Amino acid sequence: MPFAETLWGNLVSDLPLLVPVLFLWVVGTLMLWPLGSWLLKAMPKRQWSGITFVVLLITLVLVIKTPMASGFSGMFKVDGLTQGFQILSVVAAAITVILSQPQLNALQEQSVEYYALILFSTSGMMLLVGATDLVSLYMALELMALCIYILVGYLREQDRGIEAGVKYFLLGAFSSGLLVYGMSLIFAAAGGTTTNLAALNQALALAPHNSELMVFTGVLLVLAGFGFKVAAVPFHMWSPDAYEGAPTPITAFMSMAPKAAALGAFVRLFGTGFSGVHGDWAAPLSFMAGASMIVGNIAALRQQSMKRLLAYSSIAHVGYMLLGVLSHDSQAGAQAIWLYMLTYLLMQSGVFAVIIYLQGKGEGERIEDFRGLSKRRPVLAFAMLVFMLSLGGIPPLVGFFSKFYLFKLAIEQGFVTLTVLALLTSAISAYYYLNVVATMYFKEAPEGESQPLGSGLGIVVFATCLLVLVGTCLGPWLMDWTARIVLV
Amino acid sequence: MNPSLPWFQNLPLWVTAVPLIGALILLLVPKEKRRVFELGALAITIFDFLLSVPLWFQYDRSTAAVQWVTSLPWIESLGVRFSIGLDGISLMLFLLTTFIGFIAVWCSFSAIEERHKEYYVWLMIMQFSMLGVFICQDMFLFYLFWELMLVPMYFLIAIWGGPQRLYAAIKLFLYTLTGSVLMLVAILAIYFLQYKTTGRLDFSIASFQAMAPVIAAQGGNFATLIALALFLGFAIKVPMFPFHTWLPDAHVQAPTAGSVILAGILLKMGTYGFVRFLLPIVPSATKALMPWFLALTLIGVIYGALVAMIQKDMKKLVAYSSVSHLGLCMLGVFSMNPNGLQGAIFQMINHGISTSGLFLIVGIVYERRHTRMIADFGGLSKSMPVYATIFMIMTMSSIGLPGLNGFIGEATILMGAFQAHPWWAVVATTGIILGAAYMLWLYQRVMFGPINETNLKMKDLNAREIAYFAPLIVAAFWIGLKPTPIMEVLAKPIEKLVTQVDPSFYQREALAKVQAEAARVGMAGMAAPAHHEAESHESAPAGEAHGEH
Repeated sequence: MPFAETLWGNLVSDLPLLVPVLFLWVVGTLMLWPLGSWLLKAMPKRQWSGITFVVLLITLVLVIKTPMASGFSGMFKVDGLTQGFQILSVVAAAITVILSQPQLNALQEQSVEYYALILFSTSGMMLLVGATDLVSLYMALELMALCIYILVGYLREQDRGIEAGVKYFLLGAFSSGLLVYGMSLIFAAAGGTTTNLAALNQALALAPHNSELMVFTGVLLVLAGFGFKVAAVPFHMWSPDAYEGAPTPITAFMSMAPKAAALGAFVRLFGTGFSGVHGDWAAPLSFMAGASMIVGNIAALRQQSMKRLLAYSSIAHVGYMLLGVLSHDSQAGAQAIWLYMLTYLLMQSGVFAVIIYLQGKGEGERIEDFRGLSKRRPVLAFAMLVFMLSLGGIPPLVGFFSKFYLFKLAIEQGFVTLTVLALLTSAISAYYYLNVVATMYFKEAPEGESQPLGSGLGIVVFATCLLVLVGTCLGPWLMDWTARIVLV
Repeated sequence: MNPSLPWFQNLPLWVTAVPLIGALILLLVPKEKRRVFELGALAITIFDFLLSVPLWFQYDRSTAAVQWVTSLPWIESLGVRFSIGLDGISLMLFLLTTFIGFIAVWCSFSAIEERHKEYYVWLMIMQFSMLGVFICQDMFLFYLFWELMLVPMYFLIAIWGGPQRLYAAIKLFLYTLTGSVLMLVAILAIYFLQYKTTGRLDFSIASFQAMAPVIAAQGGNFATLIALALFLGFAIKVPMFPFHTWLPDAHVQAPTAGSVILAGILLKMGTYGFVRFLLPIVPSATKALMPWFLALTLIGVIYGALVAMIQKDMKKLVAYSSVSHLGLCMLGVFSMNPNGLQGAIFQMINHGISTSGLFLIVGIVYERRHTRMIADFGGLSKSMPVYATIFMIMTMSSIGLPGLNGFIGEATILMGAFQAHPWWAVVATTGIILGAAYMLWLYQRVMFGPINETNLKMKDLNAREIAYFAPLIVAAFWIGLKPTPIMEVLAKPIEKLVTQVDPSFYQREALAKVQAEAARVGMAGMAAPAHHEAESHESAPAGEAHGEH
């Protein structure tokens, strides 16, 4: 049977590319049934997060060891971009696991499924960033999203959690529909022979003249689908509610991992697959980027809840990162996004660690609760100060360097108006970040001490703050390194 | 350019680093030890000042080149270098910063009642970032320091300021940030233009200045947009009318030391930016926009003075006087001739000395009475004679009495302005007259007239207060009586700047001199053809004015 032999041969030669993903699947499945029931009996619930964390660390090593190659008939490719964004997703998942442990303990909601879902969702992201084919891309996207829908509604006893989960699921499913429809239009316009991105790009260039409208509509729909996934304006409606209703560690997760993965795929899809029809999507994407910056930053000004503030600010940050997607040079764009995402991930996980630390039993996530923090907990307040200034992109903190790298690229590519908009809106963002700082440093503490959660969170805050500060010192060199690491 | 110094032999670098090292040391001290912070910070800043004094003697006055250059590779993929150095203009502001620095620390001893550790650490970081702005020779580094400065200032105002401090601090922060992000866009645009035309990735200030002809040759309104973006960034910092509204708030709310630093040094960043970046990088576009810039400048001079006149709060009065005085400074810059520019730099130094002094003076009565309302005072000269004397000297310095520092700056600016366009000088003189009016009126209302019980009990200056006024007074008299040493330091860099802005300026001037000479010895017909006569006539006052010093 020569056919079967070739198939087997291909499979054997391509499998090493998927080792980290397969590892996550195996462990996740084991956790759900045989290992899980053993765990239930043998171990206290609080230790599951430890196992998950170790699993993710091993995955990280596997990701770094994966050979660079293309496989599965051109459906999946491991290159610098794949590895770079896979590392981001895995690190984000690992941080989420550490953040989850104390919070779920406090809520008495520990369960092995929670951690298994994080693993599955992470595997989806890892596939997503390496997908070089419309079909594998869509599959990976759904794997990632389905797990997160469940995680958002994880606190099923709370109305807000259910609302968030349902809202996110309905809108997410809708956006997936748009995405598939867009993909099928493009598939048809390109002659209906290939779904591979590189081949698609060539086919689109040769597509007959009268299919222009079809291509345009298709690209627009795909853009809308991705807009939903990364929460860019005008497809951002779900994000503040989902952020607020989800358990805080999952909010952290959503703001880091899926965004990183989706942006990685975004760059690959539009930079490789649709680069030939740049004119079709440049204008709508510019609009999305600009609108995200404006709406995100302005809406964040009026928020009372810390989680909603972060939701809107993350919309704005996505707006900035879309500048990287717009870039004609998709490699430079991917590098800029990667560096931005890396620093964003550090700051964001630090901020969420502080929030969870203060949150106690699921309450106290308003900005008001930060009053007088500098007197009550000076170290924590200082860490938060560093995160806030860095998120606002104030030099010389590391957030400035990543912003600089991104905006430099945008100006180089000729998007001057958008960059000016980005810079002006980031000046606006300084207001709400500083407002948090002012609340911590200049307002009197409320009566009655709340009970903060201890344990691992302090370490996360400390570590991320340290990393941000180290990154600040290394900031200039970070830009050099990024240029060497993330290669498409 | 001078050969590059190894970084460890670079004195200005050490002067810049000392406050940062000091801040790190202060961080290690337990926060209860108030005295350690006060004396420690004072020791650091005085040491820093003494360390910077040799620069004055080492500086080679015969060249316009940047001296004490150290340039190390930093971010190679972007062409950013860690490059520092000082020329005459930045040297003067650098020295001003170390000078004002220790006075600002010294005046805080009694004013700051809480959170001493944070206060002095922030003050040291502030000092570090301001020195950094003047010392760097790389745009990227410049931008880093420029923005870094905002953070300590924000905290100095927002923690130790007056009742409206949060509002004032955030306003200062947002205004300046908005201006500087636009500046960043301009920097990047020039950077990429340079890459496109020369293939070099280089952030050095010298290479940016060398881009001037290329920028001017760009089509469309590229140069105008660059000029506007840079203008906005610096004008907000100066602040020029109508971007000045953050200044009164920030000054009134800031603690005394904050006001001293703000007025003494921070505002100079803006004017320094004009001199260092706007004029050399986009000279032609600046000339094209000059009517607009000048209109704003002159409005600022008059408006600032008029608003200062009606203030009821002493600190606000001094704040608005800054708007007016810095307007004069900008007038000197926009004259774009040697006199005007020299006067502008003198005005920066003088304003640093006299306005810092005035803020200290307001701070002293505020510490004693906890009010700054002019109406609450009167007859203070009876109870505080020493204070009255110092107030008088500072007032005179501020309104430009000959013999004190203010006069030198204002006189040279007026000369420059007159050379460029006589009417500007007329308007500016009105501003100076108004300045004398509101300052003397202030002095009269506070110092003379009937005195009430409370004010009679006010204590005169103590030794510490006299001690920190003394250097200011010495400096005021020194500059006023013997400005030539500073002029020598500034001469070459200004010559270079004028050549950058107006390449044919000195040739025209030399020609005018020759023609004037020829006319005097009765050979006008032979030396100067008829069509040159008009020019010679026009430039004659310029030659004379230049010859005066």
